[in-house]
Amino acid sequence: MKNALTGVERALFWTLAFAAFAAAAAGLAARAVDRVAAQYEVQRSNYAIVRVIAPEGAAGIAAAEVALAQAPLVTSAAPMTAGRAAALLAQWGGGDVAPADMPPLRLIEVELAQSEEPGADVGGDIVAALAQGGVTAEVIEAPNDAAGGGLSARVRAAAFWGAVAFALMMLVIISLAARSLAARRREMVTVMCDLGATRSQAAGRVADEAAVLGLYAGLAGGALAGVAALIVLWLAIPALSLDALRTMILPIDFAPIVAAPLGAAIAAGFGARAAAGYFHEQAARLG
Amino acid sequence: MARPNSPDYDLYRSGILVRLTGVDAGYGASTVLFGVDFEARAGEVALINGPAAAGKTTITHLLRLALQPRSGRAVIVGTDIVRASARSRANVKKRIGYVAENPVFIEQWTAFDNIAMPLRMAGQKPREYADDVRELVDFVGLGDASDLRMEKLSGAERRRVAIARALANKPELILADDPTANMSPADGRRVVRLLGEMRRVGAGVVIASQDEGLEECAPMRRWRMERGRLSPLDHAAPEAAEALE
Repeated sequence: MKNALTGVERALFWTLAFAAFAAAAAGLAARAVDRVAAQYEVQRSNYAIVRVIAPEGAAGIAAAEVALAQAPLVTSAAPMTAGRAAALLAQWGGGDVAPADMPPLRLIEVELAQSEEPGADVGGDIVAALAQGGVTAEVIEAPNDAAGGGLSARVRAAAFWGAVAFALMMLVIISLAARSLAARRREMVTVMCDLGATRSQAAGRVADEAAVLGLYAGLAGGALAGVAALIVLWLAIPALSLDALRTMILPIDFAPIVAAPLGAAIAAGFGARAAAGYFHEQAARLG
Repeated sequence: MARPNSPDYDLYRSGILVRLTGVDAGYGASTVLFGVDFEARAGEVALINGPAAAGKTTITHLLRLALQPRSGRAVIVGTDIVRASARSRANVKKRIGYVAENPVFIEQWTAFDNIAMPLRMAGQKPREYADDVRELVDFVGLGDASDLRMEKLSGAERRRVAIARALANKPELILADDPTANMSPADGRRVVRLLGEMRRVGAGVVIASQDEGLEECAPMRRWRMERGRLSPLDHAAPEAAEALE
C-alpha cells in the first residue's frame, strides 16, 4: 500500500471504491426486493374473502363461520365489519365512505395457512367446506396461481440475477480500472524483466499491489453501501428502533457487503496481472 | 543450466560463458546478425567495436536473452538458450548483469533503491542488502547521489547506477551496450574501467561500443562488427583458438 492513497492511486482507489459501492448497493437492493416480495407472497397466499349467498342474514354468517372453522388451511375467519369495509374501500380508491352508509355485508375475511401443495385449489376447498356446513357461498378473493401467483418468485429471481449481472459489470470496470495501475508500474515491470523476472513474478507483484488496493477499496465501498442502506431503512421506516433493526436484518443480508472487498480484490488483481503480463511480454520480446 | 557432464556444462566449467556458433538473428522480417561466431570467457573483457547500426545492440539483446537466434547455436552460462525452458532462461537472466544504452529505472525511487532492486527481487530484506548496496555505491563512485531520486541524477550518474544495479546480483556475465554514449570522454573511460575491474572477480564482461580506443582502459579481446558480421581483431576466432588448444 506504499503511496496507495496519493496521486493517481488515490483516484484509482476511489474509482474502485465507487464500483464496489455500486455493486454492494445493488446486492442490498436485491435483498430488499427479495424480502418485500417474499412478504407479499406470504400475505397474498394467506388471505381470502368469502361472500355468503345462503342462508341470508346473521344466521348465514354464523353457519359459515362454523363451517370455515372445520375447513382445511383456514386459521381464522371473521365477518367483515362496516368499518373494515369502509377502510378497504378508501384504500382501493373508493373515496371517503362512512361506515354507517355501508349496506349490510355478507363477507367473511379468512386467513389461511401456507399450502404445501403448489397449485392447490384453495378457493374450491373453502366452497366445498362451506357446502358441507349447509352454506352456499362464493370466494371472491383467494390465492390463485393463474392470477398473480408466482409473480413474487419471478420478481425475486429478476432482482437476484439483475444484481448479479450489475455486480459482474462493476467487477469488469474494476478489472479495467486496475490496468491503469499496471501501466503506472510499467517501468518496474520492464526493469524486473531486464533483471530476469519471469512473467508471473513481474505480473504477480503488480497484481498483489492491485489486489490490496482493491481489497481496501472494496471494504470502503461495501461499508458505504451498508451505511446508505441503513439511511434508506430509517427514511422508509422513521420509527425503526435498533432492536427492531436487529431482528429485521438476517445474516444473508450482509452477503453483498462481505462480497464487495473480495470481489474487488480478485477483479483488480486479475486486471492488473493481465496488463502487467502484457507489458512484461513487450519488454521481453524484441524480435 | 545444463546438467553436469553435458557438453554445455563442460563448456561453462572450462570458463567459457558465451559461445555463439553460426548465429543469425533479427527483428520481424529483417535479419541483423549473419552467421555470428563469438566467445566470452570468465575473467576476461570482450570489446565489440563497430559503427552505428552494425548489430552491436542486437548481439547484446541476444546475449541477455531478449532475442532468440534464428539459426545456429547459442550457449550462454552453460545453457543452450534455443532449447531451454522459460524457467531456465529466467535463471540464466538472473546470472547476467546488463547495462543498457538507455537504462530504464523506477524514476520515483532513489538510486539506492534502484540498485537494490535485483536483491529485493531475490527476496532479501533491506537490512540484509544495505551494506552490499553501499559497497556498490562506493565502487561506482556515486557518493551521496545514491539518496536522490533517479529523476534528479545526471546522465553520468544514471550510468553509474545502471552499472551498480547490474553488479548487485554478483553476475557471472556482464553486458554493457554503448556504456560511453552521451558521456564525456573522461567519464566514459572511467565507466569502462569500472566494468573492466569486474574481470578481477572472475566475471566475464562484454562491451559493445562505437567508441574506438576503449582497449586502453583494460586488457580486452577485441571484435569488429560490420553489417551484422562479427570478426575477431587481435586474436583467433573461437574455432581456430579451440583447434590450437
